[in-house]
Amino acid sequence: MLINFNFRVIWEYMPLFLEGLRNTFLISIVSLILALMVGILACAARLSRWKLLRAVSIVYIESIRSTPLLVQIYFFYFGLPTLGLRVPELETGIIALMLNSGAYIAEIVRAGITSVPNGQIEAGISSGLSYTQRMRFIVLPQALGVTVPPLLGQAIVLVKDSALLSLISVLELTRCGQELTSERFMPAEGFLTVAVLYLCIYYCLKPLAGWSQKKLIFREEY
Amino acid sequence: MIVFKNVHKWFGKLHVLNDINLHVRSGEVVVICGPSGSGKSTLIRCINRLEKFQQGELYVDGQALHDHSINLTKLRADIGFVFQQFHLYPHMTALQNVTLAPVNVRKIDKKEAVALGREKLARVGLADKAEAYPAQLSGGQQQRVAIARGLAMNPKIMLFDEPTSALDPEMIGEVLDVMVQLAGEGMTMCVVTHEMGFARQVAHRVIFMDAGQLVEKGAPDEFFDHPKTDRAAQFISKILTH
Repeated sequence: MLINFNFRVIWEYMPLFLEGLRNTFLISIVSLILALMVGILACAARLSRWKLLRAVSIVYIESIRSTPLLVQIYFFYFGLPTLGLRVPELETGIIALMLNSGAYIAEIVRAGITSVPNGQIEAGISSGLSYTQRMRFIVLPQALGVTVPPLLGQAIVLVKDSALLSLISVLELTRCGQELTSERFMPAEGFLTVAVLYLCIYYCLKPLAGWSQKKLIFREEY
Repeated sequence: MIVFKNVHKWFGKLHVLNDINLHVRSGEVVVICGPSGSGKSTLIRCINRLEKFQQGELYVDGQALHDHSINLTKLRADIGFVFQQFHLYPHMTALQNVTLAPVNVRKIDKKEAVALGREKLARVGLADKAEAYPAQLSGGQQQRVAIARGLAMNPKIMLFDEPTSALDPEMIGEVLDVMVQLAGEGMTMCVVTHEMGFARQVAHRVIFMDAGQLVEKGAPDEFFDHPKTDRAAQFISKILTH
């Protein structure tokens, strides 16, 4: 079986794979940064005292979290142009990933903020600290610690989710495997290489998660 | 210093404060007791507006709390509040817990605040624990840090909401000692507690609440030995049996 495995073709297609890897990496980074902004805004809206903002944020978060990412990507890619909005594939993909991850990040950040016991906030109020001061000195430093590890988890999910962009013909890593399959009919070589490269990204991110867990999570017991 | 005039408060349909009238003078130590759910905590939480009330008048240090235009930051800065569960900030050292509000609310210089913080920690007997995190301290020590945190604002009034109820028995004394000393220095204090020894030793008045009403008030010895109402007598016999 292994005898049929063609390493030469992998080498031959390496420039393509590296381009795919680079694109996957760039798509993920850009989407993640945008998703962080969307997520923080959505979380702020979710915790806002204005009902309308809260409602908008809840509708956004729930509709994203309850529908498949592929459906969202198809909606933006096929649906929006029929409504008169034409956006190139790559941008469409990034927008879809941004909105999708943003909803999850909003919930992660919210969990971090609400994990700070109310009593501490009351203690802050009692000593005359303003809302901004309470957020800055009491809530956020503690929320950050519990938020960063799940955020890195979400970043890893985002990298893997970006594979779905291959379905709207964005040349990212998974798409390279498909090219090798359609041009040479070598799916084993193609997708194994793709998988190994995803693994490389994963192992670049994983130590960060471990490090942040050690550094940032404030532990109750010493 | 603190004047309640016909104060009413409802949580939904529950009438938690029912026509409260009370006058706490400057330098007075008032102990508030009563069964759980009687409104004691709510009563003292109204004093620094952690709770709002719907009807009546409340004056604290000359400010009218029923008037919504008052400066709450200023009001709260002048009132220390000690919680049953301490509520120290776990990511800060004892000293940082104590100096946070002086630096950010009173806007005093950092160096000055550190000196002030150390002085207050020394006052509650924890000079050597300034750099410790709350999780490294016992319950009694945490509660004393919480008291120092209140004192660091040089408050005019100190409010205590069951400050010893969450403590192991052997740590209650160290917290009460600090409070007794504070009372001796003439601090105006409202203390929700069932510690009768403390009440007898330092309270000028004991107030008994039940079902949102202020049922009885009187000198501690008189209240504990000869309660005027049946409800108070029943309550006292219950806390005395153990």
